[in-house]
Amino acid sequence: MATCAILAEDLSRHFDGRIAVDRLSLEVSEGEVFGFLGPNGAGKTTTVRMLAGLLAPTGGRARIAGVDVIADPQRVRSLVGVLTESPGLYEKLSVWQNLKFYADLYRLAHSTQSLQIERYLKLFELWERCEDAVSTLSKGMKQKLALARALLHDPKVLFLDEPTAGLDPEAAKTVRELVAELSQERRTIFLCTHNLYEAEQLCDRIGLIKQRLLKVGTPTELKRELYGHQIVVDLKNPLESLDSQLDLPFIRELRVDQTRLFLSVENPQEQNPLLVRRLVELGAEIQFVREADRSLEDVYLQLMTSPLQKQRPFAPTEEVR
Amino acid sequence: MHRVWVVLLKEWREALKGGKILWVGTVALPMILLGASVYMMLSIGDLSALDDEDLRLVLHTLFSVFLLYFMLFPMIIPNAISVYAIMSEKEQKSLEPLLATPLQTWELFLAKVLSAVIPAVLITWTTFGVFVILVSRMLPAGVWAMIWQDFGVAALLTLVLFAPLASVFVTMTSMAIATRTSDARSAQLLSSFVVLPLALWALASIYQNALLQPANLLGLSLLLLGLDLLLLKISVKLFRREEILTRWR
Repeated sequence: MATCAILAEDLSRHFDGRIAVDRLSLEVSEGEVFGFLGPNGAGKTTTVRMLAGLLAPTGGRARIAGVDVIADPQRVRSLVGVLTESPGLYEKLSVWQNLKFYADLYRLAHSTQSLQIERYLKLFELWERCEDAVSTLSKGMKQKLALARALLHDPKVLFLDEPTAGLDPEAAKTVRELVAELSQERRTIFLCTHNLYEAEQLCDRIGLIKQRLLKVGTPTELKRELYGHQIVVDLKNPLESLDSQLDLPFIRELRVDQTRLFLSVENPQEQNPLLVRRLVELGAEIQFVREADRSLEDVYLQLMTSPLQKQRPFAPTEEVR
Repeated sequence: MHRVWVVLLKEWREALKGGKILWVGTVALPMILLGASVYMMLSIGDLSALDDEDLRLVLHTLFSVFLLYFMLFPMIIPNAISVYAIMSEKEQKSLEPLLATPLQTWELFLAKVLSAVIPAVLITWTTFGVFVILVSRMLPAGVWAMIWQDFGVAALLTLVLFAPLASVFVTMTSMAIATRTSDARSAQLLSSFVVLPLALWALASIYQNALLQPANLLGLSLLLLGLDLLLLKISVKLFRREEILTRWR
């Protein structure tokens, strides 16, 4: 059974009366990649800071690998690695000196230090640049170096705050690949991101936050929970007043767009045959029946935007598989 | 103390690559003032022609000026280093990753203070040592013994008490200003005003022939000790992890 790497219970943080994080409760298992999504100011960074032992919560409690973040924040900081939004490297020092400084702060044994530094510099393809000043590195290289710094002491939990923000597509891809590699090593990764594609690609589960934790689940679960199974039916010819005639009780959110029908059902295995039969009875000539793939972006927007927008059953630009 | 030492070494590594302002503030200025002191001491003609009373008067005036120089070093040198120590972290956004390590904030604070105070005190002592060696070898026999007899206590008080306490005072004030300032130049400018009251006090003391009085130096040192303790209290609040993460801009 997987043990709990991150446990938060009613975790809250206020700043001068303003609520940054409100009663957040979640559990992340060991080896899980957990995505944390939310708009700017939603409380993602504050949550990371609380979980990583940098900021004290104003309410609730949290444990990292069993260690209480309020009672022993210093121990928590030795157990976690944090990649902050900006790399925060010492620009005038060399690549090696930057990592050596952090290795010393984590009190890695001298025999281990060089091995660890070399290992990560080679893994992140920075070995050739180890004597160069950080100021001479590209943005992507700096981000990789910051990631190496966060991993140097082999943390049990890795917090990544917007790891690809501000990177060009190629550098962002490299960083994503590195995160994917790390997830293969069964590290617990807590990934804050705005990038929904990134979250969908990398994360086992996703939490959506806007001061409060709105939803948690796998990307598939989130889509299902919000939209059910969405079926797209293509007809050969348009049918008159189909939306009023298609009166099956299990259909949710029906929309007809010329020769294409968009609808939601709870149980496609049982209900799709009934749907097809009814359509044929109504004189429809069916070309294709398939399940629409909601993107995580749809889920995100559904939860984050205003109640008016929530009512829209389908976005016209949705992707259809 | 291991992590204090680690941060301290990092500070010095960075400071050594810190550019002209740091070099001017820490090395060039002391060298210029040392050169001026030695030149003044040696350019006053034939000291052996003066009687004891006149000689004492001349030496008293000269040594007051030299002592003022050596009082300025521990005030000027830490200013540049301490402002840089905070501003460079802020500009590079390196504070959060640093605070995410097991480093405690008191360790960070102590390392930052020591990174400015140690060079300031060492440079002051070294330049004074060089001054003593040069002047004692170049002055006529017996004159240096007279100087040391009359001003030795004042010199020791300046070096052993005033220099460290003034360095700590300037360092903590400059750091406090830097934590609340968003650019290095403003921080540098504002913190340079910190030196003024002390420098003016010292200058005024020369004219009242009071600078070399051990009692005055002791009093000033005690005042600085009080100010240092007050600043320490303020700095403890400024260097709380939350304060650094949320209010340092």
